[in-house]
Amino acid sequence: MTEQDPLAGQPEAKGPEASAEKPVRHGPPIVVAEEQLNERGEQTAEQLARTLGALALDAAGRDDTPWARVDASQLHRAAEKCRDGEMGMDMLNLMLAVDWVDRIQMIYVLYSTTNNRKAILKADLPAEAPKISSVTDLWEAGSWYEREAHDLFGVEFPGNSDMSPLLLYEGFEGHPGLKSYPLNDYEEW
Amino acid sequence: MAVDANNGAQNLPLFVPQKWEREEGGRFFHTGEGGDDSLGKGNHPAPNRINNVAPGVITAKLDDLIAMGRSNSLWTLTFGLACCAIEMISTHMAHHDFDRFGIVTWPSPRQADVMIIAGTVVKKMAEPIRLLYEQMPDPKWVIAMGTCATSGGPYYRSYSVVMGVDHIIPVDIYVPGCPPRPEALMDAFLKLQTKIKSDAKNHQIDDLSEHTAAASVAEVTSATATVEESA
Amino acid sequence: MSTGPQFDSVDMMLNMGPQHPATHGVFRMVLTVDGERVVDVTPHIGYLHRGTERLAEVESYGQVITLFDRVDYISNLNNELAFVRAGEKIMEVDAPERAQYIRVILAELNRVASHLLFIGTYAIDLGAMTPVMYCFRERERIENLFEHVTGARMMHNYMRIGGVKSDVPDDFVPWVHRLIGDVRKGVEETDKLLSTNEVFLGRTRGVGIIDGPMAVSCGLSGPSLRGSGIAYDVRKDDPYEIYPYLNYKVPVGENGDCWDRYYLRVLECYESLSMIEQCLNQLPDGPIMAAGRRIARPPAGEVFSHSENPRGDLGVYLISDGSDKPYRVKIRPPSFCNLIGLRPMTIGSYIADAVAILGSLDIVLGEVDR
Ligand code: SF4
Repeated sequence: MTEQDPLAGQPEAKGPEASAEKPVRHGPPIVVAEEQLNERGEQTAEQLARTLGALALDAAGRDDTPWARVDASQLHRAAEKCRDGEMGMDMLNLMLAVDWVDRIQMIYVLYSTTNNRKAILKADLPAEAPKISSVTDLWEAGSWYEREAHDLFGVEFPGNSDMSPLLLYEGFEGHPGLKSYPLNDYEEW
Repeated sequence: MAVDANNGAQNLPLFVPQKWEREEGGRFFHTGEGGDDSLGKGNHPAPNRINNVAPGVITAKLDDLIAMGRSNSLWTLTFGLACCAIEMISTHMAHHDFDRFGIVTWPSPRQADVMIIAGTVVKKMAEPIRLLYEQMPDPKWVIAMGTCATSGGPYYRSYSVVMGVDHIIPVDIYVPGCPPRPEALMDAFLKLQTKIKSDAKNHQIDDLSEHTAAASVAEVTSATATVEESA
Repeated sequence: MSTGPQFDSVDMMLNMGPQHPATHGVFRMVLTVDGERVVDVTPHIGYLHRGTERLAEVESYGQVITLFDRVDYISNLNNELAFVRAGEKIMEVDAPERAQYIRVILAELNRVASHLLFIGTYAIDLGAMTPVMYCFRERERIENLFEHVTGARMMHNYMRIGGVKSDVPDDFVPWVHRLIGDVRKGVEETDKLLSTNEVFLGRTRGVGIIDGPMAVSCGLSGPSLRGSGIAYDVRKDDPYEIYPYLNYKVPVGENGDCWDRYYLRVLECYESLSMIEQCLNQLPDGPIMAAGRRIARPPAGEVFSHSENPRGDLGVYLISDGSDKPYRVKIRPPSFCNLIGLRPMTIGSYIADAVAILGSLDIVLGEVDR
């Protein structure tokens, strides 16, 4: 009607045929953060690169925490090197699984109480039947984190003897950490 | 010389009617002024004819007496589930002093009267809660404290939370709030006392047929499974 | 050479929880005992697993703060601070100085409140009834202040990414000064009453010992780790907010037994109170919220930030995909890791000590199970 059509700037309304194609994303474009290490982080990154050598496929970092991506089959070796080598990563601070839909990523945050440095190891697993060797023999803390990842994401950890459900109960079907697991809308049951 | 033991004071009333004869009109006892037809007013109850015979004796229905006893010594099961339990503990402590209502916590379900569901009920905990409830002797009451126990609260979309404890066990009082203030919990107990008393008046106490649980835990978990399948 | 009859002994299983007054919530452990000795212990958790991390993926950044309030429900403000810091890191905003001071004052007060609750309930576990009354009296004072400032006694939802919700009321500074005096008196009273009590010492000294390397391997943090002689405190080792401007000590134990873990918390109460006093004296004027959009979309990326909770090192791993909701939120729960240390501590001790050891870890089940 007038020039100030409220719909002017927006993408066309989705028809039934549009939804079959790639979903149109509304809103501002996605910005990817620039990852930058500070001085301390650079030093840790150097140490990490020295320790891992050719094991590291990929490396970057943010602030004081560098990360390195290793092959899933080599993760245990890489972790062992980090623990016993010059880095002295004696604490498994955090371990988590991330569901990137096409793959599952395991992230290990390591911490050294002697050097006061953090570093992150990452490993990509296939979305179907993810499996990675256990780090329980390196850090006690691994056992519960692994059981949790097994509950919520269905990751298998050969080498961890006790894989009984930790957070969920026996007989729970599915892995609720995955993006494909539905969350309920309110309903009476 | 006979000395009055009571030092001149009036003799204590005796527990003996002074006159045993039946009066005209068929009344047996003397009654106070105004007769027993007079009605009480405000805080002054109608004169009780037994008072004349045996002053100091209280008469009441046995149901009312039992309800009074029950409602003034409610023992709660020591049982905290989540954040609301902290406010429950605060209520029991020195500042709010729950003891003055006759409410004490007791760690065993076998001697407890009231179960305060203070916190989020997750599906893994459903079975133990039901077990605890069944171990409590009758009569027993349940207070759902906080929105989690009432309806799932902030976690209503979660995959592991029961949408209110009333899916597992019957609930008497619901307390809103996240977490409810100690005063709100006290109010819930005052309401529960009123409920116990009025239930006794209406002869609804101990009617177990109405106290059947909504669904067994097995059904609850299977219902979730079907939800997952259909989704 | 014994000639008497030989008896076979059979290990017995003993179940504790999930409803047990000494488990501080819905924690269950199965003890295998040989006579009075504990041979093995199997902790069972998950009775409060509410799916916080998954739920955080469908809430916007501002709404996730409310979920963090409820993760560790005894130190709510410390939890808010942990998430808010992760959010600030990923959105690349900085809170103004006044907001940081307010946050630290409230977080340290909450640390005192949390430790007071620990001291009281630990005394109950070991059979002393009075300290809990003293502790809750002081805790109630602190909660009154929280209510005055944030509007709620427990679930505050007060901090925001980039600042705090609203400025503190006018009488905040005198009120807190008064409060600190009262609370310090209360802590001293409890300390005198309990810490060197003969019975209490008998039940905690030399009980539940864990050595430094084992504690680190289990991922222990906070007072539970410092009790074993390892001085790891995020406030010192990875300073955040205005902590570098404050003058404080981190108490460290040496034996790694229950008494050390207990007494460190008492000492931390004193330290926190003096930190609050310093903050009050330094409290600057100025804005309380960074300029920025209300509904923020952070750039895609991932950050890990951690802070010192009363229970230990609370970390938040936050992954953003560029939308207004986090892609993945992972909490590093200190109580969860501290609980891993329960098994090495308990094996070989007496049954009655199992309660003392569990109590000394100061777990909060909401955080263990999330
Ligand atoms: S209602 Fe609120 S305070 Fe109570 S258990 Fe639920 S989340 Fe916690």
